[in-house]
Amino acid sequence: MKKRKNKEKPDRLTRSEHELSRRAFIETTGAAIAVATALPSLVEGQTPAAPPPAPAVTPDPSVPRTTIRVTVNGTQHRVEVEDRWTLVELLRDRLGLTGTKIGCDRGECGACTVLMDDKPVYSCSQLAVWADGKSITTVEGLAKNGTLSPLQAAFVAHDAPQCGFCTSGQLMAATALLASNPHPTAEQARDAMYGNLCRCANYNRYVEAVVAAGSAGNRATAGGAR
Amino acid sequence: MKQRSNSGAPAPAAGGNANVGVSPLKVVGHPTPRIDAEERVTGRAKYTNDVQLPGMLYAKVLRSPHPHANIKSIDVSKAKAMPGVKAVLTNENCKVVWGAGSVAGGQQYSDEVKKNTKQRRYAFNNPVRFVGEPVVAIAAVNRHLAEEALQQVVVDYEILPHVIDQEDALKPDAPKIWPEGNLCLNNRNEAAPLAQKRGNVEQALASSSHVFEDRFSTSFVHNAQMEPRSCVALWEGDKLTVYTPTGGIANCRHDIARDLGMADEKVRVICQYMGGNFGNKNQNQDADLITAMLAKEAGAPVKLELSRRDDFLGVHGRWPTIHYYKVAASDDGKLQAIQLRGYSSMGGYRKNSGSMAGIELYDVANVDSSVSPVYTNKTVSGNFRGPEYPQGFFGIQSMMDDVAYKMKMDPVEFGMKNMIRTARENVPFSNYTLDECIKRGAEIFDWKSRWRPVPGSDKGPIKKGAGFTYMAFRSGVGSSSAVVQVDAKGKYTLFVGVTDVGAGAKTTMGLIAAEALGVPLSQVEVVWGDTDKCPYSVGESGSRTTIMTGYAAIQAAEDLKKQIAEKGMPTGSNILVASATPQPRGGAARNAFGAHFVEAEVDVELGRVRITKYVAVHDCGRIMNPLTAASQIHGAAIQGIGMALHEQLLYDNRNGQPLTAGYYYDRIPTHRDAVPVEVTFIENDDGQGPWGAKSMGESGIILSPGAIGNAIFNATGKRMKDLPITRDKILGALA
Repeated sequence: MKKRKNKEKPDRLTRSEHELSRRAFIETTGAAIAVATALPSLVEGQTPAAPPPAPAVTPDPSVPRTTIRVTVNGTQHRVEVEDRWTLVELLRDRLGLTGTKIGCDRGECGACTVLMDDKPVYSCSQLAVWADGKSITTVEGLAKNGTLSPLQAAFVAHDAPQCGFCTSGQLMAATALLASNPHPTAEQARDAMYGNLCRCANYNRYVEAVVAAGSAGNRATAGGAR
Repeated sequence: MKQRSNSGAPAPAAGGNANVGVSPLKVVGHPTPRIDAEERVTGRAKYTNDVQLPGMLYAKVLRSPHPHANIKSIDVSKAKAMPGVKAVLTNENCKVVWGAGSVAGGQQYSDEVKKNTKQRRYAFNNPVRFVGEPVVAIAAVNRHLAEEALQQVVVDYEILPHVIDQEDALKPDAPKIWPEGNLCLNNRNEAAPLAQKRGNVEQALASSSHVFEDRFSTSFVHNAQMEPRSCVALWEGDKLTVYTPTGGIANCRHDIARDLGMADEKVRVICQYMGGNFGNKNQNQDADLITAMLAKEAGAPVKLELSRRDDFLGVHGRWPTIHYYKVAASDDGKLQAIQLRGYSSMGGYRKNSGSMAGIELYDVANVDSSVSPVYTNKTVSGNFRGPEYPQGFFGIQSMMDDVAYKMKMDPVEFGMKNMIRTARENVPFSNYTLDECIKRGAEIFDWKSRWRPVPGSDKGPIKKGAGFTYMAFRSGVGSSSAVVQVDAKGKYTLFVGVTDVGAGAKTTMGLIAAEALGVPLSQVEVVWGDTDKCPYSVGESGSRTTIMTGYAAIQAAEDLKKQIAEKGMPTGSNILVASATPQPRGGAARNAFGAHFVEAEVDVELGRVRITKYVAVHDCGRIMNPLTAASQIHGAAIQGIGMALHEQLLYDNRNGQPLTAGYYYDRIPTHRDAVPVEVTFIENDDGQGPWGAKSMGESGIILSPGAIGNAIFNATGKRMKDLPITRDKILGALA
């Protein structure tokens, strides 16, 4: 997971990204509704279109700032951040990776869980500057070339997300678990995701999905019996 | 009639449902992953706070630190002078009335009530009536600056005496929260309890050989949905677009338009994904109004973000209740009379009814129920999943469990002897399966061997016991709308004004339309969550989207099929469109039924409770999607465990300060609290709604607190009368 080919991305968004008109934004959002709802991809295995780029928040020039290098989902960024920004602010507002959610912003709920150098952390409780030199994986980095990870596929099959707001965090905690323990038991899955709240309380589905993803891997390593 | 067990995760691909009794359908009734599941597991699903507009400002709200105070003055001059601060609102420059925020037993949708009420709630109020009430809102170029600007605001408060407990609030010398007193006014400006009377309770209590009385209480539990409230507002000329987490885009739009004095069509409400609902969001919120007014003032789009604490205090939760029951029974254990005196704490405004359900479960000739909704200086109470049910059912079913033991009867036998078998006035239910739910549940649970005839009789410090509760829940049909079209390529598009709050409405609507059209689900696209694109839908509240909007989708599909039969499929760029707004009748005596059986293990030395078996049997009519249906019951039952054992927005009555406003102290259930829930559906088709579908979403939480309390009694011999049943209460009762 660690070794990736990093491609440098400048700390500047393209002009067209900056100058999206309101109208264009709403139109593209509207189009996204159509794309999203049309998605028969589960049935037909199609790759959905990427979401429209969101206009990024830029640092306030009147406050202390630092330029950091951070690798996010395999892409290296050289990016200026406000010293007061948390990692989740960098991810969501600056880099437009809104899959990571803020549930409490104080380390209680786990909705903002990301991997930092492959370890799960609450990104609301990390300053962005602390990510200098680190490698971050967010929910957007789990699918490869439009193919869901086995864990994501298990989440879909087991109806793990209800409202979906805690799902990214549950996925990241469970991804870290599977990396260190490829075939967890239900108890081990509960322990690993204990720091991730779900108000829909779909906990049993989450655990079933993680155990199933582990078992699927088991079968695969045993010779692809399926 | 058929039964379907769904305790583990069904393998969606496995299919093969044993459809016995209800006629099998092609698309509906098979475990189907959500059509938007992939959005939810990849981070592509866009929630309100994910919306980012060019030039957008960030807003924060300063909230009252006092439970009750007059605002003498607000000095915003320093904040306004800060570079980057673009708009400041207070009660002085914003007089918008929040119609849905107050008054009168769920009548908040009525323009008439909003106009006539004496107890009006504004977006910013003076006096403030609870800790967390909005006082100042500021929009600035970034969220940190907005926060810093709030710190520069100086508010001069005249602190008023406060009252936190609802019984204290009705005492003659209690501080008055409204000039008319602390008993809430109804929509006719009358201070009157919610009353229900039949027969002669006094006489029955006097003449019965067995009379019992007791007191129960439940606590304020917050909806605590994972998505903290946020809102994005954008003005383009006189057209307002609001992105907001709402369960009902149509009602939310109408509320915003009414409160801002605009025409409905000048407001567009968009909510695609919502991070949990759990009640009272089928309308607008003060946050929507504040954001819209800030955006107007600043001349730029604004995003308002509530912190978790803001959300706990500034939004709403389940109304806490106090119940006094008197119950009379004859020698053979037949109920003769039920009397209830109830008190519900509504907070500083009456956002909802404050009623208590449960008495309607019993076949009893004499009833006298009086429930008082009471103003207190607490966070405002509202609807939370089965608004008046889990509280009411915990009270009455704990009471009746106790009566059963005192009458030396098995609580299941007592329940079956006294429960309703027809709706009121002997009107038959559209179908009735309560007996079957209970019998089936007792069998799966193995009640006879798990239930202890002598409560608390297990030896040693770890004691087990069993409890049960049953329910009947409104499931009426009603009106909603749907539009469906087909193009020349045979692609069908369904337009429905639903929001996907987590229950899977979008997928359910797709399944229903596909079934009615006779095409696979993959051929149906669902357009949802945008008032500019979708017709009216009742909104995700009252467990009625499937019944009402689903039925409209069928009617629209039938119309489209007729058109296709008459005109043939469209060619070229033509489309065929059909719409429907059916007005189905006859839903009054339509109910969903269910029973929960719980085994609890209590460590009497530590006061710890563990749920060791949980069986839930539900009749929700025909099941549209067994996969998501089972998830609903699982999740709701576990949410109910939180209400039973942990959750409480606790106040210090002396200073009126909330003590547990956040996840850490409020203790909603975690992965460690989740227990396996064995879900069984008893399916049937009463010929109403979409192929017999009935209410579902709220059902699971209604029975859980009562069943857990009853199981703890059976294990320990101690009746736990106050929710949440925390360790200290158990140890106190056993001491």
